Order: sequence, then structure tokens, then C-alpha cells
Amino acid sequence: MATRRSPLLLAAAILAVGLALSVVLSEYNLRLLNLSVITAIAVIGFNFAFGLAGLISLGHAAFVGMSAYTVAILTTATGWSPWAAIPMAVAGTVLFSALIGYPLLRLKGHYLALATLGLNVSFFIITANWLSLTGGTNGIPGIPQLRLHGYFISGERYFLRFGLVFLAAVAAAALAFQRSRHGRAMIAARDDEIAAAMSGIDVTRVRVAAFALSAACAAVAGALFAEHVRFIAPEDFGYVHSITYLAMLIVGGEGSVVGAILGAVLLTFLPEWLRFLGNAYLAFFAAMMLAILIFLPRGLVSLFRRRAPRRIAEGRS
Amino acid sequence: MSDLIQLFVNGLALGSVYALAAIGFVIVYSATGVVNFASGQFVMFGTFAGVSMLLDAGLPWAVGYLAVFVVMAVFGAGFFACLYLPLRKSPVATMIIGTVAIGILMQNVALLAFGSWPFRLPSPLDGLSVHMFGAVISAHALMVVAVTALLVGLLWFLLHRTPVGIGMRAVAQDMRAARLMGLEVNRLLALSWILAALLAGLAGLLLGPMWFADVNMGDPIALKAFAASIIGGFGSLPGAIAGGIFVGLTEVLGASYISSAYKDLIAFGIMILFLLVRPQGLFGERIQDRG
Repeated sequence: MATRRSPLLLAAAILAVGLALSVVLSEYNLRLLNLSVITAIAVIGFNFAFGLAGLISLGHAAFVGMSAYTVAILTTATGWSPWAAIPMAVAGTVLFSALIGYPLLRLKGHYLALATLGLNVSFFIITANWLSLTGGTNGIPGIPQLRLHGYFISGERYFLRFGLVFLAAVAAAALAFQRSRHGRAMIAARDDEIAAAMSGIDVTRVRVAAFALSAACAAVAGALFAEHVRFIAPEDFGYVHSITYLAMLIVGGEGSVVGAILGAVLLTFLPEWLRFLGNAYLAFFAAMMLAILIFLPRGLVSLFRRRAPRRIAEGRS
Repeated sequence: MSDLIQLFVNGLALGSVYALAAIGFVIVYSATGVVNFASGQFVMFGTFAGVSMLLDAGLPWAVGYLAVFVVMAVFGAGFFACLYLPLRKSPVATMIIGTVAIGILMQNVALLAFGSWPFRLPSPLDGLSVHMFGAVISAHALMVVAVTALLVGLLWFLLHRTPVGIGMRAVAQDMRAARLMGLEVNRLLALSWILAALLAGLAGLLLGPMWFADVNMGDPIALKAFAASIIGGFGSLPGAIAGGIFVGLTEVLGASYISSAYKDLIAFGIMILFLLVRPQGLFGERIQDRG
């Protein structure tokens, strides 16, 4: 995609495409699109950690889950309004990510990958067994709906319009951030830690900031997920989902907001499109992913970039 | 006391299987720098190769086991050619997703071939048990520990006393220097994958009679192998063994004495603690950010 496109244009494009789809799609496809919108927010967040700062985190689903569980517990057990519970969930998740980020982000490469994976597995074990708080594997049903001006945001079509606003805002903010000096500091810290430190960038702080930002997006996605499905269980946030986020970003195009959205939408819909294959669909899905990794290593966005080769030198959008 | 001995031997047997899986994982990692997320599926393939040779084809023990090893060796070579060669220049994360994708592929191919119904893989020592200090211990568990110990010895001999093994270690240390010394680097790399697949096959054959053979058994094994190699020290063979046995013992003893629901949390908690406090593990490499 063109590199100079402004964040506002991206937001407008997301809203236009999304609203058009919200009119024409069937209820079932709308549900999938809602899931892709929510997932796209999480993947855009993951792009801060992985695409910009180069942190391979495989624990992202735990942040999504932490926020979803906070919303669920606050609204069902203590009767908070979802509007109050969502900011609380996001703030709590960001705080937690920053706290664990300081010790954890000294690790690099696959060490960080395995440590965060361990974190995600631990999160699953705790949510599946802490019956009094999380209801164990039965999950938490009956999460109250969001209300806007006295109307419930119910039904896939209305929820989609609501979710699109969040996606557009997050995508525009992410693109603007990426272009700012803070975004470039993250890329610098990834590309050459020593050179970045020599230019006055506090590498640890930049990494923790990238991690916390990615957790913030994950938390927004988690809160929306809880409000959309209105029933959450531990397996919604297993480590497999963290790996899926990484796959979505790599398939879409690492380092690119548009790529994150493309990857999230494609990998959410693809398994459904492949249903006709019956039991073989996951095997086919995995083989397709391998083919993309081997033949399109820069992801789907590189298909669009190739048409405008002169723009590559300007950097990644 | 007799309970403790029984649990200890069972933990040791389970830990030996984790150690075998972790050794395969570590051999591939140190030779090629690939963190193989499909390593649990390798073990699953070993178990199911056993199911098809021993149960479906009804081969006698020796022939059946041999056939499993041939299948696994071919599989390891295929993995090297179809995944490692095309992706070897990609970044770590792409390689991780590549091995994850292969893992999903393997799991679903197994699902298509064998269905979701679990099998019980027989052991040549089925039904036999040994009485020791008042405890009843299954002969299979003792065999697992003995076979693993023997195999670790053979592996040490291979890697330190034979030209092929020394070549493999040279490639693991510095691929370019090894190539300049005239070693056939690609052949040795392929051999590392084959060796890893063989170890996983053996782990699968030994694990099959202790658990049920289930197409979803791969992921938990991979997670335990990761924890084992972190605790023991990434890239270290003695570390993989110590880590595997440690994880097996904490799983079995933790389940009986602390909490069966949280038994896995103990191993992963210790793994994260190691990463934070002593990332090189018990025996591991000093370089923190290799790969």
C-alpha cells in the first residue's frame, strides 16, 4: 500500500468498506466479520511489539483474555456498567504488561517467545482452574450488553458498526504513531540496539512502551470480544490464539497496519471458506500458510507494493 | 514410602520421554538455529507410526520398531528438504510460524488417517511389574528409563567419538567454518533433522503405552520439551536430559502432593523463573540472544 497515505484516509477507507459490507453481508458472515474486526485490533497491537520493536511475543492472547475476563467479572459479579468496566480492563491490562515487561523484555528472540508462551499457558491453567473467580472451563456467561443512548448495541450488524469505529481509530492511531519519532525509535531499537542506544534512545523503555501499547490494543480487542460474544471461556485465549496473531501478521505483512488487518480478516474467513473440504480443511489451511511463507515472505501487502516499486525506498507503511 | 518410590519411578519414566523429545529439539536447534514448534507432533508421529506398524500391520516387535525408525528417518529427511531448505534464510519468527504450520498439517493428516478415537499402543512388557521396596512398578516404566539411559550414552558416543558426530558438532558451532573445512554441511544438517526425528520416534514408541495414542498429544509434549530445554539450558544436551527429568518429576510428584489441577503451572512457573533469573539454564550457553 502507498506509504504516504494519511492515517485519516485509512480510517475513512476502513469505515467505508466496513459499512458497505455491513449492509450486504448475511448474518453469519457478519458474525465472522465482527470477529475479524476484533482480531484485527489485536493484530495491529501485536504489530507494535513484533513489527516495530521486533519482540516475538507468543503471549498476546493472554492480554486479550485478561481484559475480557476483567470486563466479564466486573459486569457480572460486581454489576458494573460495561462502559466503566472496559476502561478499567484496558488500564489493568496495560499496567500488568508494563510490570511484567520490565523483567521479561531483557530476553530476546526465541527466549522471549518461549517465556511469553509459558505466560500464556499459565494464564490458561489459572483461568481454567480458579473456579470461584473465572468459573473454570465453564466460563462466564451472561455478560451484559453495551447500551448507547438507551439502546442496546445488539445484533451483528449494529455491533459491526460499533466495532468498526474502534478499528478505524486504532488503525489511524497506529499508523500515525508508526510515522512519529516514537515509532521510528522502536524500529531503530529493533534494527540495531547499540546504534539506537548511542543515538540517545532508551532501548528498554522503548521496548516496554511497545509491549504496553500492544497490550493496550489487545485489551481493547478483549473487551470488545467479551461484549460481542457475551460468553467467555479459557480456550478463547489459549496460546494457539497468540500463535494465530503472529501468523496473521506474517501472512498480511509484518510492520504494516494494512497488512495486520488483511491478515486478520483473511485468516478468520479462510477456515470457513474451506469448510467444504470437511476434515481436511485444517491440513489444507496449514499447507496454504506454508506456501505464503515460502513464496511471499513479506506477506500479502508485498503484492501491492510490487506494483509501485519506486516507493519501497520510502519505508514501510 | 512405597507410594513415593512408585511415583518417583513413574516421574522418571515420563521425564525420560520428555528428555528424548527435548534432545531432538536441542539437536535441531543447535545445528540449524530453528526452534521447532512441531517437535511435539514429531513424537505424535512416532506413536502413530507404532500404531500402524504394530496394531494395524501386526508386525512382530523387532520388525515393527525397525519399520517405525525407517519411517521417522524418511520423515526427518523430508522435513529438512521441504521446510528447512526453503525457509532457512527467513527470520526466526517466520521459521516459528513455518514449524507451527507443519505441526498443524501433521496433526490433521494424522486425524484424517487415524480419526479422533484414541488407541492404546502395546508395549513388549505389558502386564509385567517389578516389586521394589514394597512398591509395585511397571516393567515398562523401568524399560523407558533404561532405554533412555542407553540411548544417551550412544548419542554421546556418536557426537564425540565418530567423524559424523564431530562434523555435526562443527556445523552447529560455526556453519561457515565447517563448510570451509570441506565438510558436507547440507548432508550433516539433514542428518541432524533425521536424528531428531528418530529420537522423537523412540519417544513416541515409549510414551504410547503410558498415555493413550491421541492425535492431539503433540502440543502438551512440545510445551514440556520447551520447558525442559529452558530449565536445563537451551542448546545443551545434558541440560535437556536434566530438564526433561525435572519436568517429568514435578509433573508426577506435583500432581500427587500439591495439586493435580495446577501441576503444569509448577513446571512453567519454574521455566519463567529460570528465564528471568538464569536464562542460560542449568548447563546452557552463555550467550543470551543467540538466534
